[in-house]
Amino acid sequence: MARTLAMFTDTSLCIGCRACQVACKQWNELGLETPEWTGTYQNHAHFTDKTYRLVRFMEVPGAKPNGDLAWLLMSDVCKHCAQAGCLDACPTGAIYRTEYGTVNINQDVCNGCRYCVASCPFGVVTFNEQTGTAKKCTFCNDRIHNGLGPACAKACPTDSIQFGFRDELVAKATKRVETLKGMGFKDAQLYGADSNGFLGGLNAFFLLLAKPASYHLPDNPQRPQRNVVVDSLLSIGSALLVGVGALLAFRDRGKGDA
Amino acid sequence: MIVKVPGWEMPIVWYFFLGGIAGGAYFTAAIADNFGARRDHTVARVGYLLSLPLVAVCGLLLIIDLGVPSRFMNMMLHFKFWDPMSLGAWAVGIFGGFTFVSSVLSFSTSEAVAAFRRKFSLIGMLFGFFLAAYTGVLLSNSTLPFWADSRLMGALFLASGGSTGMAAVALIMFISGASSGESWHKIEVADRFSMLIEMLVLAAFLAVLGSAAQPITSGHFAPLFWGGLVGAGLILPLLLNLFGGRVRALGVVSAVLVLLGGFILRYVVVMSIQG
Repeated sequence: MARTLAMFTDTSLCIGCRACQVACKQWNELGLETPEWTGTYQNHAHFTDKTYRLVRFMEVPGAKPNGDLAWLLMSDVCKHCAQAGCLDACPTGAIYRTEYGTVNINQDVCNGCRYCVASCPFGVVTFNEQTGTAKKCTFCNDRIHNGLGPACAKACPTDSIQFGFRDELVAKATKRVETLKGMGFKDAQLYGADSNGFLGGLNAFFLLLAKPASYHLPDNPQRPQRNVVVDSLLSIGSALLVGVGALLAFRDRGKGDA
Repeated sequence: MIVKVPGWEMPIVWYFFLGGIAGGAYFTAAIADNFGARRDHTVARVGYLLSLPLVAVCGLLLIIDLGVPSRFMNMMLHFKFWDPMSLGAWAVGIFGGFTFVSSVLSFSTSEAVAAFRRKFSLIGMLFGFFLAAYTGVLLSNSTLPFWADSRLMGALFLASGGSTGMAAVALIMFISGASSGESWHKIEVADRFSMLIEMLVLAAFLAVLGSAAQPITSGHFAPLFWGGLVGAGLILPLLLNLFGGRVRALGVVSAVLVLLGGFILRYVVVMSIQG
């Protein structure tokens, strides 16, 4: 495998211009959608089958260093998890990991069973009714294989979205957190940078200025498959009980042929 | 809620319901065939013959629910032993083969064929159990609240597959006029055990879930859950089964209610968080 590529989204630099969202739509030819009123400039409320980059707008009271209301911005995207729930759930092998560590859906193989949709801890994967397949950010698979960075990172005017080798970006991000803490942003933290942390680390990781929950991110996202052994053993237990019940009811006590 | 629902609706509710019956009817048939008396062969034959068309319908339901039905075979080009969806697709196919062979063999009068059929059905029985249970494990291995919080979804679906499979066999025996003998009584007793186990598992299921069970225990789906499943679909048929004596009409009512309860279980579990 080639050296792992990553996207680092530093939310402290985001100005909410949504150039990333537009660049993503243009490059990936994602088509128009009916706008949705969310109460803020955010559009749409969630990832859709035609929105792979989504700038989230959040107002969080008391999140500024001086205690004021903070207007938090975050360009959200598929996290390309090192332990990807969607990839493990996919029964056709349509979802695969590239040599750069990113996670992609082969649109020619996906048959639209939608288990990946139910298996993403971040609500990224979305079913497309027109194609009948699951859709999500491709990490601009075509671009990265041709020496170009993802369209969103290229378009970002403030370098809030940075593209590069994961190890280099993590080192950079760690320094940036220290700088921000020195400036008084006491809740500044990395989300998904630790490859020993949840989901084996995210290949699209984030620098947040407040707790993950303020950004609608789960504090401790989990692999959907983590309970498959326990649940199966409990099912086997139930099968034994029901089976023994039927056995007791039917067992031939030597008078059956009467 | 940041996580997304998969949009598995009525075809999947029907699949979970019919798959449970198919699995339950087959393993009941296999147990009756192997451990019952010679006259319990009727139960075995009805069970095998019921599971065959049901599993065919199951396969069709799964295919029409796909986004690209013509690509259903893509699941057969891949196998993931840790993935309920992958295992399930394979199990439906393999179990279908078992139901077909068992059904054909159930018509033979040869003792040698019967001996083979019994052994064969002991293996097929494992796929029957699997089909009845895996759908619950599939739901509980997702990221959705309530589904992912359930540790006993597979166990519950299995017990329900047992009770509905036995109820369906009993009903067919009644309709086809094969309900006069001892076998009918035996399947009623087996169904009684299954209902009792299902009630215990359901109680444990709710206890483990705690407040995470709210999508079915309170709100829009609560009347259907408490009234339709717990009341009319479990307690009432169990009482009829226990105290109905050998009045066959009461046994029939009990079986119909069990089937209704089995459908409601799948319906409330699948639909409550996807509404």
